[in-house]
Amino acid sequence: MVNIFRRMRKLQSLLNVRVGTGAAVLPSVASANKELPAITRLHLTYARKIYGGHQGARHFWRNCLPRLKYHNPGLRMTVKQTDEQEGPAALTIYFAERASNAASLTAANIEDKHAPAPESSEKTAILDVKNLGYEQIWAKVKMMTGAEEIPTTAEEEAQLKKFEQLREQSSKDRVRIAEMRQAKKDQERMLQEARGEVERLRQA
Amino acid sequence: MTSSSLLPSVARSLLSSCRSPLRQGSMAPLVPGFQQVRGAKSNPQAIIRKNREKEKASVRKGRRGPRDFKQRDLKDMEQFTLCDAVRYLRAFEVGREPSSSKYEVHIRLRTLRDGPVIRNMLRFPHSVQTESRICVVCPAGRHQKEAQAAGAVLVGEQEVFDNVKKGIIEFDRLICHPDSLDALNKAGLGRILGPRGLMPSVKTGTVVEDVASRVEMLRGGTVYRERDAVIRLPIGQLAFTPEQLRDNLRATIDQIKKDAAGLNDRINKEIYEVVLSSTNGPGFSLNGEFKTDDSPDSASLSGL
Repeated sequence: MVNIFRRMRKLQSLLNVRVGTGAAVLPSVASANKELPAITRLHLTYARKIYGGHQGARHFWRNCLPRLKYHNPGLRMTVKQTDEQEGPAALTIYFAERASNAASLTAANIEDKHAPAPESSEKTAILDVKNLGYEQIWAKVKMMTGAEEIPTTAEEEAQLKKFEQLREQSSKDRVRIAEMRQAKKDQERMLQEARGEVERLRQA
Repeated sequence: MTSSSLLPSVARSLLSSCRSPLRQGSMAPLVPGFQQVRGAKSNPQAIIRKNREKEKASVRKGRRGPRDFKQRDLKDMEQFTLCDAVRYLRAFEVGREPSSSKYEVHIRLRTLRDGPVIRNMLRFPHSVQTESRICVVCPAGRHQKEAQAAGAVLVGEQEVFDNVKKGIIEFDRLICHPDSLDALNKAGLGRILGPRGLMPSVKTGTVVEDVASRVEMLRGGTVYRERDAVIRLPIGQLAFTPEQLRDNLRATIDQIKKDAAGLNDRINKEIYEVVLSSTNGPGFSLNGEFKTDDSPDSASLSGL
């Protein structure tokens, strides 16, 4: 099994799931009101390669969706990666009963054939995410759904700071160690060459 | 180092006193170490040399390493309740192909490096994978019919061998009847089946008289074995509720404890850490609790 320290280091990434862009609670059935109806599902479709404006969608999946899933564990989320580079990059938001005002205003008039069909009580709003960065996408999603961001606690701030320091230190160390290794290699090469010289002299 | 210098000095003096002067010359070249050691007590240099050799031997022994697998203290390791771990894992699995993502468990043991290993099979209360396809090698007749009735995909002798040789392996398990074992060995399939872990053998319990009941068992069962002091096995589908996972985990741990107890009186194996992981997620060390106060309710931690 992997070394325990390496495993602990790996678990530092959990902080990234708790805080950051997309760490927010979406209105659920319990907390929904007239202005902000409950969200039941999310679906994201984008193409496999990034050209054609599909990069932001993939980053949204990588960065924001795990955080959303962590803070809204009951929410179903699906992602479909297609091979159609010309096809849509779309985020479908499924509202219970009716879409929020903001959602119906910003919804794009595109069709996403990979999104699962809404149930009879669900209303969908499709957001066109082509050529948008993931932070822009998140801002739109937040606006459409009325998501409440979860503030980072002081403890988490401190941890973030610590990891940032560690990261800086490790990039410094990486340079230092690379220099040391290079120096050692150079010296060995020089010794090797010198030895070769002696051999040649002896043979001559 | 020769064996002679490892002998205790009493034995050495005994040997030398027994040796007749006549045979001395003929024996010396056979055991070269004797010549050096004979005068050891009187010769200070020889004593030093002997001590040095002894040291070298002990260093070599030390290099062989500890007898147990090294297991660190877990007090620095952050441990999680089952529900919290599941919550994180589901976040890591978001947007993945739901049919391919699974929970898996790694059970670390405190055990000898060269001791016997646990290998067995178990049946989960909630089955993890959809039916595994089973192939049976047995002579035609009663056994064949029984095996087919029990749900084996492929039953036979020669046709199985032919298919395997052609590279068509459309099964996950291979069971063999003792009557067909000779035929199987003669067919020389070990090179194809061996690396896949499919070759039947008595040790793994895949050579059995009662083929039919074994097929029944294997269809819902999961085979596991200990490798480098860890037992790894899939424990559930991503859609499972934490309760289902807990039931499966309990069944697994009970079974492994039973296996460890049944090994040998002198062998002591105990569970040291249980790590829950998933196909795309990191490993979470479990602390044995089910949930904390602020973990979400289990209904929201299930489904796809």
